Amino acid sequence: MIKTILGAVVLFVAIAFTAYLAFHYAPIEKTMGPIQKIFYLHLPSAFSSFIALGICFYANLRYVFTREAKWDWLGVSAAEVGLAFISVVLVTGPIWAHPVWGIWWTWDARLTLTFVLWLLYTAYLLLRTMLEEPDKRALFSSLFGIFAFLDVPLVYFSIRWWRTQHPQPVILGGPGSGLDPRMRVSYLLVWAAFTGLLILLLNGRYKLEAMRASVEELRREAEVR
Amino acid sequence: MKNLDSVLAAYLAGWAIFFVYYISVAQRMNALRGQIEQLKNSLNRGK
Amino acid sequence: MALLSNSAVLLSKELRTEFRSRELLTTTVVFILTIVVLFSFTFDPSVTESRRFGPGLLWLTFLFAASLMLQPGFLREQNNDTLSALRLSVSDPFAIFLAKLTASAVFLLLTEMLMLPIFAVLYNVHILAVLPQLILVFFLGSLGVAIPGTAFSAISAQARMRELMLPVLLLPLLTPVLIASTEATAALLSENPQLRVDWLGFLAGFDVVFLTALWLFGEYLLEE
Repeated sequence: MIKTILGAVVLFVAIAFTAYLAFHYAPIEKTMGPIQKIFYLHLPSAFSSFIALGICFYANLRYVFTREAKWDWLGVSAAEVGLAFISVVLVTGPIWAHPVWGIWWTWDARLTLTFVLWLLYTAYLLLRTMLEEPDKRALFSSLFGIFAFLDVPLVYFSIRWWRTQHPQPVILGGPGSGLDPRMRVSYLLVWAAFTGLLILLLNGRYKLEAMRASVEELRREAEVR
Repeated sequence: MKNLDSVLAAYLAGWAIFFVYYISVAQRMNALRGQIEQLKNSLNRGK
Repeated sequence: MALLSNSAVLLSKELRTEFRSRELLTTTVVFILTIVVLFSFTFDPSVTESRRFGPGLLWLTFLFAASLMLQPGFLREQNNDTLSALRLSVSDPFAIFLAKLTASAVFLLLTEMLMLPIFAVLYNVHILAVLPQLILVFFLGSLGVAIPGTAFSAISAQARMRELMLPVLLLPLLTPVLIASTEATAALLSENPQLRVDWLGFLAGFDVVFLTALWLFGEYLLEE
């Protein structure tokens, strides 16, 4: 209970800290103006989701070759947390973009890739709900996860090539484009905060999965008696 | 600043997602803790 | 070597089973035909519009048809409990996958070749001049669909709601195939037809990546 509240406090502090950096410390960007501030939420979320994706892939591989349950726990945790981060990316994009550009959505390379990733993560989690037996669930979702991860670079390249042939409006001018040192510091600190957030959420979700496994074990014991 | 409004709205929505997710994990954990207690008690009674 | 001969034997079994009843092929052809007709109601089928929307519509239709057509791949084995017998009959489980994906690719290609002339007539698109190149695009694309499709057919056979799970798993993953095949087809059907070797190379790469993944992980996909 205390740990839960502590976690929520950490979360709140992270929000306050990143908001301060984004809105007070970092200067206003020259060409885009204040709207560029989304950069400090939208991008770190995307980056954290990629880390989560990588962790999920690694966990999937470890499970297939060791069959130790803890890797399955890590896999589903990484997928769920990653989905949360990607959802943030997909939601903050349009909300910020609509008043500014007049459109809710554009099929530019980044957003399209993010959407496809969201679909793949969701498919992974959906598959898990359709597999009842724990061993089968772990094995087959891990196998799907591996295939899905191998697909990610292919999705990225195909969408980019396709989009460079049919140019569309780019929502965010790349982050590297002339970063003021205060912006760079802000971005790095926010990015660190988001990595901390990722670890916090992963840890919590992993413990949840471990608990679920012990409940199943206790149930099986109760049935035997 | 009109533009700043939308940025703030986006920030609120984004952080709301994280909060909701965190709370959902915490809730599920509490539910499971309850179940573990129940099962442990029934097992002990069975002994 | 043993792998290829085993695959060949299994492949001929798959082909024979299907050609005996031809139910898969006929149903798929009718399905695609229906969609091709329905699509004509959604845009103005002039020549310019057909050139713009035609390739995408074609490939989207084939993807949907494929996700239906790939279902029986491992479902038949599950329903008849023949999977363990199948596993025992070959030394390398990859032979099973090789046979099934080749069969699926063959069926897909057959349906596509049947549909192409019909599509050309209905939407006034010229395909004769570029037919060999089109066949190449469809060959690589069909492989791109069949390889992960066969793998996921094995996965979804284990799951509930498997008829719906297979498209849910497969279609997002096939984004690169859809993009590459549509672009290559569009280039061939345009006013100045050209063979997009870059997209074809990409498709070939996609096929190689997933064939390798299937080779590495196939035996685990067959676990019961």
